[in-house]
Amino acid sequence: MLQRGIDFHTHPLLVREMVARHPELERAARETFYIGNNFQPLESFLLELDIAGLEKAVLLPIDATSSRNTTVYTNEQIAELCAMSPRLVGFASVDPHDPEAPEKLREAVTKLGLRGLKLAPAMQQFYADDRTLYPLYEAARELGIPILFHSGMSWEPGSRLQYGQPMQFENVAADFPDLPIVLAHLAWPWITDAVALALKYPNLHLDTSALYFDNPRDFLRYAMTQTVPLTVFERSLRKQIVFGSNYPRVEIKNMAAAVRGLGFSEPCLDLIFRENAQRLLGGRR
Amino acid sequence: MIIKLERIEVQSRQGMEMIDITPQVEQAVAASGVHNGLVLAMTAHTSSGLLVTEGIECLERDVLAHLERLAPKEPPAGTFGYWHNRYLDYDGRLGFNAGDHLKSILGGVNCFFPIENGKVVRGSRQKVYFVEYDGPLARTVFIQVLGEAA
Repeated sequence: MLQRGIDFHTHPLLVREMVARHPELERAARETFYIGNNFQPLESFLLELDIAGLEKAVLLPIDATSSRNTTVYTNEQIAELCAMSPRLVGFASVDPHDPEAPEKLREAVTKLGLRGLKLAPAMQQFYADDRTLYPLYEAARELGIPILFHSGMSWEPGSRLQYGQPMQFENVAADFPDLPIVLAHLAWPWITDAVALALKYPNLHLDTSALYFDNPRDFLRYAMTQTVPLTVFERSLRKQIVFGSNYPRVEIKNMAAAVRGLGFSEPCLDLIFRENAQRLLGGRR
Repeated sequence: MIIKLERIEVQSRQGMEMIDITPQVEQAVAASGVHNGLVLAMTAHTSSGLLVTEGIECLERDVLAHLERLAPKEPPAGTFGYWHNRYLDYDGRLGFNAGDHLKSILGGVNCFFPIENGKVVRGSRQKVYFVEYDGPLARTVFIQVLGEAA
């Protein structure tokens, strides 16, 4: 299969080489991120991309120092893993409660080569439109990098869903019109709210990494053809949707097949799988 | 009496795939020192299998195609939809590979052969296959050799 395109939402929690080097990552996987699958060599991750027909994957860490006294990969560990394969694109995370977060983000981007910011309001326990975070958003805007926010449902025990409601992100989208924002997981179950925001704010994007019942095929069919008609995504939001799998909670191959089976036109699939992600990653100043 | 257990790792590269592990089974027997006895092999995973068949590509395709027909990856509509399609709290994710588990049951998860004069006794066309139903993954196969030394 031709390999082109990017998975914009993966967590490298199962990479065996990294767990061997950093044993604390086993606890992060099991007790913080809460994933039970077996650890795998990096090769399995890259083969997942291969059979999904994708070239690259965005790796997402979570700095939950204040809320959980832990990190799910540090920025340095993400950079270390990215050095193992040119197919991996690293994002940074910072503790949103840390006053030095903007400077730490600048360091992660300029010194470690990371290319976006991941924030998880439910796990990190903050509301996205808290004004104390605006310097962090301003730093991301200045750097020309996107922010990917976890939004919608959170599986992890102790994570409160209220932090992930889409309207928490409206002020950020409105106050930083030049800052590319991605709301992950279609913000399900508030997908209609998330679509409304995306229709109103062109800097706001949605990733497809949503699976909360049934299976990728049936869930996405429900969310992206029944809850919201597919035509809304194809006609109005085609430049604001990026493919994301949420690997390893969902295998990349399964989510890619589900998105490809929804009925999008080929040009729209190319936007979702490749072009939109490339544009988001290409704004680095 | 010798009893030796070996764990080998098999890296699958496709979603569904048959991988000939006959050489690894024979190697385990050769390394065990068992002259007359039995060798058993078993996959450690419930979405993969072990089976014995003729080692030709056309049969590999037929095995995989018909297991997929009997237990499709995508859940059938209606009565035969998969109950496994639900959130598994112990795994932190949904279970949506019921078809792969069912293939594992249908195709089997283990096999055994006699050992005679230090060699695996098998039919001339028989090969031992590790069968991946939900790859690509690094998988573990247990090979246990039991028997008497020379």
